[in-house]
Amino acid sequence: MMRSIQRTFPLFVTALLLAVAIVQLTVGYGEVRRASRSVGDTRLRFVDSVLVDLFRSGPQRARITALAKDSAVVAFLRSGGQRGRAQALDALRRNTLDTASNVRLELRDFSGRLLLSTGRFALGDSVLVSPGTDSARFGPLQRRDTVLFFGIAAATGGTEQAAGNGTELSGGIVQQVARLQLNDRTRRQLTGLSGGDMAFLFGNAAGDPWTDFGSILSAPPANVRNSPRPTRYERGETKRAIAMAVPGTPWMVATELPSRLIVAPAQGYLLNMAPLAALIVIFGALAAWWGSRRLTAPLVGVTRGAEAIASGDLTHRVPAGRDDELGRLARSFNTMADQVSRSHHHLETQVAQRTKALEGTNAELESFSYSVSHDLRAPLRAIHGFSRILLEDHNAKLDPEAQRLLGVIDQNTRRMGQLIDDLLAFSRLGRTDLSTGPVDMKELAQTVADEIQRTDNGRQGSLEIRIDPLPPARGDRGLLRQVMANLLQNAAKFTRDRPSARIEVGSRADSGQTVYFVKDNGAGFDARYADKLFGVFQRLHSTEQFDGTGVGLAIVKRIVQRHGGRVWAEGAVNQGATFFFTLPGEEP
Amino acid sequence: MQSHGVEILLVEDNANDAELTLRALKQRNLANQVFVCHDGAEALDFFSSGASPVPKVVLLDLKLPKVDGLEVLRRLKGDARTKAIPIVVLTSSREEPDIERAYELGANSYIVKPVDFEAFSRAVSDLGLYWLLVNRPPH
Repeated sequence: MMRSIQRTFPLFVTALLLAVAIVQLTVGYGEVRRASRSVGDTRLRFVDSVLVDLFRSGPQRARITALAKDSAVVAFLRSGGQRGRAQALDALRRNTLDTASNVRLELRDFSGRLLLSTGRFALGDSVLVSPGTDSARFGPLQRRDTVLFFGIAAATGGTEQAAGNGTELSGGIVQQVARLQLNDRTRRQLTGLSGGDMAFLFGNAAGDPWTDFGSILSAPPANVRNSPRPTRYERGETKRAIAMAVPGTPWMVATELPSRLIVAPAQGYLLNMAPLAALIVIFGALAAWWGSRRLTAPLVGVTRGAEAIASGDLTHRVPAGRDDELGRLARSFNTMADQVSRSHHHLETQVAQRTKALEGTNAELESFSYSVSHDLRAPLRAIHGFSRILLEDHNAKLDPEAQRLLGVIDQNTRRMGQLIDDLLAFSRLGRTDLSTGPVDMKELAQTVADEIQRTDNGRQGSLEIRIDPLPPARGDRGLLRQVMANLLQNAAKFTRDRPSARIEVGSRADSGQTVYFVKDNGAGFDARYADKLFGVFQRLHSTEQFDGTGVGLAIVKRIVQRHGGRVWAEGAVNQGATFFFTLPGEEP
Repeated sequence: MQSHGVEILLVEDNANDAELTLRALKQRNLANQVFVCHDGAEALDFFSSGASPVPKVVLLDLKLPKVDGLEVLRRLKGDARTKAIPIVVLTSSREEPDIERAYELGANSYIVKPVDFEAFSRAVSDLGLYWLLVNRPPH
C-alpha cells in the first residue's frame, strides 16, 4: 500500500489526542484520588482527636483522685475497714455517677482485699489497676468473656512507702471499674455521627482487646497502632485507618474508612470524564480526517493533473480557486502545463513543417530520379542506336580505326546505361518503405546460390557454394534477397579465375545479434582500402579485371543500415574476402 | 485523312526514338502502316477525328508534351469506342509507380525501352510481330 498523508495525518492526530486523553484521565484520576484521600484523612484525624478528648476523661480522674483524699474514705481505709464504714459508703455514693449501672466504686486495702463497694456488677478481684499516687491512674481495657471494662484507681496519700517497707498498713485504694456497653445500637449511633461510612475503634495501645462498641475485636495490626500516619490494612475489606493514643491512658483510638469510599470519587471522575474524552478523540479524529482531505484534495488534483499530462493529455488543468499555498501550487502547475502544452504544440508544428519540407524534398528527388531515368536514357539510346546503325548500314565506308572507335562508343554507352540503372536502384532504396516480416535466411541464400550456379558462365574451374544453417532474420525479404544476391554475385565474380572456387555462407552470434557472412577464396582486396569498398562507384579492381559499376556493395550497405544492422569486410589480396553483416533477430 | 490502313499508332515525342522504332519495325516489314503522333494531344485528336481507323496496336510513350501518356491511356481506355484497342506502353521509365498506374488504367503491356540498341530493336520488332501477326483482335 502506498503511503498517504491523507491517511497518516488523521491517524497521527487521533493517536495524539488519544495520548493526551489518556494522560489527562490518568493525572486527573490521580489528583482526585489524592484529594479524596486527603479529605478522608482529615476526617479520620478529626474524629480521632474528638474521641481522644472523650476518652482522656479528665473529670473522672479528678473525681477518683478527690475521692482518694476524702477524709471519710481515708479514715475508713486507714482503719483497715474497721471504722467509719457508713461515712465512707456515703462518700462513695456521693461520687457515683447517674449511670451507675455500668460503674462500680470499690475501696480496697493495699493487698487488694475488697473492703467496700457500690454498683451492681461484680468482676472479682483480678481487675485491680496499679493505682496512681498523686492522681488516679487508668488501667488497660480488659475482657471477661463478653464484657469489656477498665478501671481507674488512686491510692490514699502517703501510704505506699509504708506498705513497701512492710510496716503496718495505713490506707488503701479507691478504684472505679467501668463496664463498656457493647451493642450494635451504640455502634450505629457512633458511626451515624460521622455519616455512616466511618468505623470507630477503641482498645489498648499494647494490643487486645479492641472494640467498635458493637462487639469485641482483635487489635488492628501493630503497624497501624505504631504509626501516626494513615495506614491500610485488611479487616473484611481494605481499610484506611489512623490510630491515635489517648494521652494519660494505656488506650488508643482508631478510625477507619473503607478504601473503596476514598477511591469512589476518582472512579466517579473516570466514569464521567472517560466518555467525554472519547467524544473529544472521536471529534478530533473526524476533524483531522476532514482537514487532511481538504488539505490533500488539491494535492491529489495536482498529482492527477501531472499524471494526465504525463500520459499525453496536455489540455488537463487543475482547479486553482484557493487563495493559499495550495492555490498557488495549482496555479503554478497550470502555468507549467500551459508552457508544456505550448512547447509541445510548437514542436508539433515544427515537426509538421519539417515533415512537409522533407516530403517536398522527397517529391523533388522522386521527379529528379524520374527525369534521370527517362531523359538520360533517351539520348544514350540514340547515341548507341545510331552508332550501331552506322556500323551496320555504312560498314563498307568505314576504315578499321573508325570501326574500333564506334566500338568504344558502343561499350561506353552500354556502361553508362548500366550506371544509370544501378544509380537509380540505389537511390530508390532510400525512398521505398520496408515491408518487414520474418525471413528464412537459409532458404534465401539457397535460392540465390542456385540461381548463380545456373547462370555462372565463363568459369574455368569448379564452383562450390556451401550454405550453413542460418538463423531467421526480421526484415524486408526482397531487399535482403538483394543483399544476399549482391554478395554472392560478388563472391562468384571475384573467384572466377580460381581453379576450385569456394563460397561459404554462415553465421555466428555476437552480443545478442546475428552476424551473417559470405566468405570466398577469390581475389580478395587490400585491407587498407576496406572502408572504400562500400562507397558508391568505389572500385578496388579495374573494369578490365572484373566488370561492375561499384554500386552493388553500396546497395548492400544501405539495405543493411536501413534494417538497423552493420556491414564490414575482411580480406587480403589473393587470399579471399569475407563480408559480414548483422541483422536484428526474428524476435524484436 | 492519311489514317487509312493504319496498323500501328506510335505516340512518341522523341524523333530519335521514333526513328529507331521505325527502323526496327521496318526490318521486319511492319513499318508500312505506321502513324506517328508527336504528343498526347495529337494522339487524342487521331481518335476523335470522326471516321477513325482502328489501329491494331498503340505504342505509347509516357513522357509526352501537352497531354502525358498516362492521361492518353486513361482517356482511350475510358472511351467505349477505343477501349478495345491494345495499348503497349513503351517508355524509358522503369519506375514502379508508373508501371502500376499504367496497368491500373488498362494498359495491355508495359515495355521498358532498353538503352542497348540490339535489345531495343529486338523488343520493338518482337512486340510488332506479336500484336500485328500473333494477337487476334475482336474485330
